[in-house]
Amino acid sequence: MYKGREGQWAFLLHRLSGIAILAYLLIHVFSIGSFMFGERFYMAIHETYDWPGFRVGLVFITAGVVYHAFNGLRIIVMDFTGAGVAYQRQMWYGVMLITLISGLYAAWTLLPRLIGGY
Amino acid sequence: MTQTQHETSTAPAAAQQALPMLHIKVKILRFDPEKDRKAHWETYAIDAQAGDRVLDVINEVKWYQDHSLTFRRSCMHGICGSDAMLINGRNRLACKTLVRDVAKDGGTITIEPIRGLKVEKDLLVDMEPFFDSYKAIMPYFINESPAPAAERIQSEEEAERMAQSSNCILCACCTTSCPIFWVNGSYLGPAAIVQAHRFIFDTRDEATEQRLNIMNQNTGVWRCRTAYNCTEACPRDIPITQLIEEVKRAVMYQQA
Repeated sequence: MYKGREGQWAFLLHRLSGIAILAYLLIHVFSIGSFMFGERFYMAIHETYDWPGFRVGLVFITAGVVYHAFNGLRIIVMDFTGAGVAYQRQMWYGVMLITLISGLYAAWTLLPRLIGGY
Repeated sequence: MTQTQHETSTAPAAAQQALPMLHIKVKILRFDPEKDRKAHWETYAIDAQAGDRVLDVINEVKWYQDHSLTFRRSCMHGICGSDAMLINGRNRLACKTLVRDVAKDGGTITIEPIRGLKVEKDLLVDMEPFFDSYKAIMPYFINESPAPAAERIQSEEEAERMAQSSNCILCACCTTSCPIFWVNGSYLGPAAIVQAHRFIFDTRDEATEQRLNIMNQNTGVWRCRTAYNCTEACPRDIPITQLIEEVKRAVMYQQA
């Protein structure tokens, strides 16, 4: 692995969170749209979402959306101002802090579901 | 007076005696196209001083341990840009990197060829695609108006505008540290954009629009995803990402 610094990890996480959000959106559209084929089909799909992997995934998708949004703002600041480039590292730590806090908040709010399911 | 002379004359010799030798291992990614199907690691034990350059260490290996080791080097003083290598996971010039900055006594220095370009042998890569990108940005002064009798005058501020991008030595440390370039070789890369910056922000040059159009193509400046590896890697301390962002803005405002 190339030993890049904050910028490299910011870029990698931005890509990964982007792919995760796209995947989530596609699954979301498909599972909501499945109601066209009747309630039984719809419920069959939605019951699979009780699988622990999906429950934990909720926390990660929240963190992913928050990271992608705030890092997107960081990129906009960098693209439009010289100061943004000079302080990109500090801004990234800020983004990571916000991501961590919202991830923890999501975990706290979703705790009953994480433990007990529906 | 005599005392100072005495001191200065003995000081270097005393320092040399006091300098301990570091016992280090050098792990080099070797590839011989005539024998190997895949690159493999080879390790050499070397004694080096803390103040030696990594290039001295590689020379030691080539001269006294394995003559077949292949790598580029020319001026050995960080100006020609021949010996860019991936040293301990980061792109650096072997002649500008001191042993003490990358290894302790008993430690290991890993050396690989720079990434994203075809390895010809050992640490030697095919630089042609890199220089093709360089040529693509028209790296020469263009001004069709008749030359004045003396010089084409620039103010100090105007010269300052292109001072940093003029420092590039085309070593490829930046371009081959770029994650986008590793995946997409058609991206012109940071080095070519820095070179373009040097002419775009040269007030005497008249081909600014042509160069901005080249930068606006899908192999140009928009491929940059601001991973900052280029800025970290540059042995000339050019703030590459900042310059690329300046070119991005120039392209955008030109179209506005």
